[in-house]
Amino acid sequence: MARILVIEDDPSTAEEIVTELKVHGHHPVHVADGAAALERACHESFDTITLDRMLPGLDGLALVARLRQRHIDVPVLMISALSDVDERIEGLRGGGDDYLTKPFATGEMIARIEVLLRRGRAPTDTTVLRAGGIEMDLVRRQVAVDGEPVRLLHMEFRLLEFLLRNMGEVVSRRMIFEQVWGYYFDPGANLINVHIARLRRKLDRPGRMSAISTIKGEGYRLDAV
Amino acid sequence: MPSEPLRLRDIRHTSTFRLASLLGLVFALGIVILLAVIYTMTVSELTARSDLILREVGARLVSAPAARLPERVRAEIASNVQGLDFIALIGPDGQRLTGNIRVPARVRLDKPVDLPARPGVRGPIRLLALRAAGGHIILIGRDISQIAYLRSRFLQIFLWSGLAAAIGGLLAGVALSLRPLRRVRDLQQVSRAIAAGALDARMPIAGRGDELDQFAGTVNVMVEEVGRVIAQVKGVTDAIAHDLRTPLAHVRTSLLRTRGRPDTPPAFAALAAEAVDDLDAVLDRFAALLRISELEASARRSGFRPTDLARLAERAAELYEPLAEERGQTIIVQAQTAATIEADEPLLFEALSNVLDNAIKFSGVGDRIDVIVGERDGDPGIEVRDHGPGIAAEERDAVLRRFHRGANAGATPGSGLGLSVVAAIAHLHRFGLELENAGPGLRVRIRCPR
Repeated sequence: MARILVIEDDPSTAEEIVTELKVHGHHPVHVADGAAALERACHESFDTITLDRMLPGLDGLALVARLRQRHIDVPVLMISALSDVDERIEGLRGGGDDYLTKPFATGEMIARIEVLLRRGRAPTDTTVLRAGGIEMDLVRRQVAVDGEPVRLLHMEFRLLEFLLRNMGEVVSRRMIFEQVWGYYFDPGANLINVHIARLRRKLDRPGRMSAISTIKGEGYRLDAV
Repeated sequence: MPSEPLRLRDIRHTSTFRLASLLGLVFALGIVILLAVIYTMTVSELTARSDLILREVGARLVSAPAARLPERVRAEIASNVQGLDFIALIGPDGQRLTGNIRVPARVRLDKPVDLPARPGVRGPIRLLALRAAGGHIILIGRDISQIAYLRSRFLQIFLWSGLAAAIGGLLAGVALSLRPLRRVRDLQQVSRAIAAGALDARMPIAGRGDELDQFAGTVNVMVEEVGRVIAQVKGVTDAIAHDLRTPLAHVRTSLLRTRGRPDTPPAFAALAAEAVDDLDAVLDRFAALLRISELEASARRSGFRPTDLARLAERAAELYEPLAEERGQTIIVQAQTAATIEADEPLLFEALSNVLDNAIKFSGVGDRIDVIVGERDGDPGIEVRDHGPGIAAEERDAVLRRFHRGANAGATPGSGLGLSVVAAIAHLHRFGLELENAGPGLRVRIRCPR
């Protein structure tokens, strides 16, 4: 269970976030005002923060900048109605770790929070990623399933690396497109589906469940099988 | 936006330059006519005076008896202290009897003529031949070199003053044209920015209240009104899209929760899953609508970087290759020229992705899709050619509008927003978007003038 600071001035959005976090077993702490949120973030311990970009009192960007100045490096998910790419870049450069535009699917929000929580816990010097029979050597750029080498194309390798780094967590197609391809538009569900399907064909072994599951309406999850 | 340098060709076509040049020409012509009149009158006056003097001298000699003519001629020559007059006495046999001038040719009687200076002959002189007593001819000449000099000076003044007036007129034309032309350039620049979507831009007003200021003021009022109407329409569209997206997103969450509850009957869960799919399609359309609106409102060029079109084409083809493979299609990238242009790379990638997505959707199983980076009429660009049903010529503008689906789209899934996104991105870049018949299929070209 993670302790999450929810900084959101809109009551209905705040309620939605808090409810969803509780459903997923986390402990959310809601604050509606920027200055009060900064105070709590500086004096209490949180695993991650969801931060509305436009807040009364203290703007979201200024808030995250002050946090970073005080060397508080809690992962921050910025949530904003400003969807333009420039706004997104500004949010991420300003100290945010991820950016989600309103209105959002709660599944997408949870997936992004889980990724941030995992990033905070994962050792940074890992050179080999494993999930069940899948083993990825990041230095040699080699992949093996049950010890048998598998040839992956460049983008397939990056896709698998992203799924392995978020093993057990649902990742949305948008997150995949942003993190693997580096673009921020919606390429449509079908495109990511076929990339996942192609990866599955290379990784799956007869008689064993596929390591990558499709979570309908939410995204994909790689498990150790 | 840097202002373009003024060229002589541009100045030449301005009304101010033409008017000033015309005035200059009329002025030069006036000067020439005035000088011509002065010249003609002066020359004829001086000539008449010379002729009068010649006739006076002639009258004195002609009245003398034939025997005394040589003596009178010599006396007349001796009395000519100024050295301007020349006299000769020609006998009835045509031989010169006396005088201080030799005339090589015969001269008509009683008609003064000009004789130019020649080697061995004094001149220029005005010469009058008169018949005297006993069949003698008296030639009386007068040095007119001063008059000739005056004439040539007059002609020079003619030429130079005419030329100076013409050049002065032209220079005045250029000088007078520069300022209005610069203002027109500024107006053009702003009008281009407005046409590119910067509806907050306004035509500069110099404050002179001249016709350009009046024109700029009228355009500003018009742009203000257009901006207000567009903002109103956009505001309504965005508000509808945004306000509907939020509750729909909530409904989606509720459906997902319902589907995931252990006490939800499987039939209900299946219905909820279908509803989520339908909602996703609606939400995607709203997202696309807002995206187009955002792109149309944006005039940002901060993300513009040198972009390698061939690399962009390869990346897009790589992204869509698995989708094409699923349908047995092949994407062939051909980089005919190396082209690096200034563009917002992620946006151009998004545009190309939409075009490729359409090409895959509308091409048949096993078809080939070409992505060509090349130049046309000197402009680089990316072209995607498919072998699908194409789009009828009369529909090609309409398919760029929101929600319009071509008659050949049939049952192919789509929202009718993909090409609108492409058009908005092309417009933001000031690139051209051309749809052509590929016979068979459609050729979509994003033309990127440098």
